Amino acid sequence: MESEIVTILFGSFLFLLLIGAPITVALGVASLVSFLYLGENPIKFVQIAFTSVGAFPLMALPAFILAGALMEAAGISKRLINVAESLAGPFTGGISAATVMACLFFGAISGSGPATTAAVGMLVIPAMIDRGYERGYASAITASSGGLGIIIPPSIPMVIFGIAALGMAPPPEAVEKFGTFQSVSISKLFIAGFVPAFLIATSLLILNFFMSKKRGYKGVAEGWSIRHVGCEMYRGFWSLMAPLVILGGIYTGFFTPTEAAIVAIFYTLVVGVVIYRELTWQSLFQSLEATTWLTGRVLLILFTATVFGRLLVENQIPAIIADSMLSFTDNLYVIWALIIFFLLFVGMFMETLATILILVPVMLPVAYSVGIDPIHFGVVMVCTLGIGFQTPPLGENLFIASGISNITIEQISLRALPFAAANTAAIFIIAFFPELSLWLPRLLGY
Amino acid sequence: MFWKFLDNIESVICRILLSGFVCLLFVQIVAREVFGFSISWIEELSVYMFVWFVYFGASYAALKGAHNRVTFQFKFLPDGAIKYIEAFADLFWLFFNVYFLYLATDFVFNKMNKFWKSQTLGIEMKYIYMVLPIAFALMTFRIIQVNYRRLVKGEDISDPDQIDLDEIKAATDAAKKH
Repeated sequence: MESEIVTILFGSFLFLLLIGAPITVALGVASLVSFLYLGENPIKFVQIAFTSVGAFPLMALPAFILAGALMEAAGISKRLINVAESLAGPFTGGISAATVMACLFFGAISGSGPATTAAVGMLVIPAMIDRGYERGYASAITASSGGLGIIIPPSIPMVIFGIAALGMAPPPEAVEKFGTFQSVSISKLFIAGFVPAFLIATSLLILNFFMSKKRGYKGVAEGWSIRHVGCEMYRGFWSLMAPLVILGGIYTGFFTPTEAAIVAIFYTLVVGVVIYRELTWQSLFQSLEATTWLTGRVLLILFTATVFGRLLVENQIPAIIADSMLSFTDNLYVIWALIIFFLLFVGMFMETLATILILVPVMLPVAYSVGIDPIHFGVVMVCTLGIGFQTPPLGENLFIASGISNITIEQISLRALPFAAANTAAIFIIAFFPELSLWLPRLLGY
Repeated sequence: MFWKFLDNIESVICRILLSGFVCLLFVQIVAREVFGFSISWIEELSVYMFVWFVYFGASYAALKGAHNRVTFQFKFLPDGAIKYIEAFADLFWLFFNVYFLYLATDFVFNKMNKFWKSQTLGIEMKYIYMVLPIAFALMTFRIIQVNYRRLVKGEDISDPDQIDLDEIKAATDAAKKH
């Protein structure tokens, strides 16, 4: 009975994905067919459609997407990149290092990888080519550091992870074995992502330093000047305040993530209209429109993924997976390695947010049953899926970088491989040392 | 003009709803932090506006062809074939939507009584759930519309997520000259 329902659920899901049905349809139809097969009343679909979406914390999603789009339109992102360039420009491999830093800054206001790559890449890739960097290298480092945009908080994938994990209590056997687990909240995830994001950025910076040295990429001739940095910081003052407002508000517990995003929206409106005067009605409408289809698309998946996840849990499928994993090995490091390689593989083919919504109901109970902390698991999951942006065949960042630099995706992905390797190494460190993620939230009293 | 408005109906509705609940939440924050009181009905109303926003947004995403599909397996097929395969896959989407439409209509009109009201606003939940049949009916129509435009008229409706490379190139050139 149980194996039959697994075949029907996953079989129809994979079949629909393969013929190119939207992910949300594959999830919905597979669940519907299983419901009918089990003889359950499908009227539950209607209630889940309403209750899965109608949750207050979820409103952080459109609010952060809108805030990011508005900051781009208001000229805030552009100024942040200038500050990063003035800081790192003069050193060996300076402008490529500035790219990594710009992605860090930019990631702090936007939660999306491709948006980060497009915004930063448009300014820095031509600049790098002008200074004699090879096109492939310039594009590869931009595509790779663009993935930082989804890890550094506020991160849209983390909002989605938080939503998906909120409703899932740890199985009682796991609690008995490992003691109580901490509860999942979006604020906690945001704080936990901070140190890991810097670790990954550092790994990219180190690799960039050695590769630039080997290739002979020098900094700008004028050298480092405090005046220039000060000047750019003065010009970018209101932009630098934006990440401070968002993260400071969340970290001090003054705002919930949703409220921080709402405040950021109004902050950007004021800066964009009154101070920089770059925001137009047209770009405001475009931002609202982009937020509309992005939110509609993701949250329709949330609805069908919730039904799908409920079917999985009701049929004890995560427990079966956990058991078979534990019978194979009970070494936590081996289990982490399996999880990371699996996520890397899935991340190559499927869109990040959809992947999180589908995999959390399957993998989080498994993580609980081997004693992994849910916040730590979320951080590793989001970091690992971030690499998917820079690996073909899906690799959105590669497409954007290749559009800017005019060379083929194959060339860029070859150059991006060392960066992906450095990234993966950093993720293993994050996975093996849970304190890296869990220390800061505890320090701040979450 | 009228038809153009009608073709963009979800976009208009969603813009209003989105700016609406963003402003409401801002009022709530200001009231709490500055004046020290909270307005109880704001949270509930904004969540309901949000649900409406999401499902009309999903219909808008269908119109834009934005719903994510897994497509790497089509890499070696000719472009002409892909749209027919996807149209076939969309038949399942239609089946799902029509069935859900039946369920939602049945639920809203026959299962929900008028004593089921929202907690602070006191509106009958029936009217709030109404978004499900309306938005799914609209989405079903959009799926047919998009496939008609793709197959019969041969228009190219690509995912708006695929950032327009020509646009990026133009912007890059402009930045260079600058």
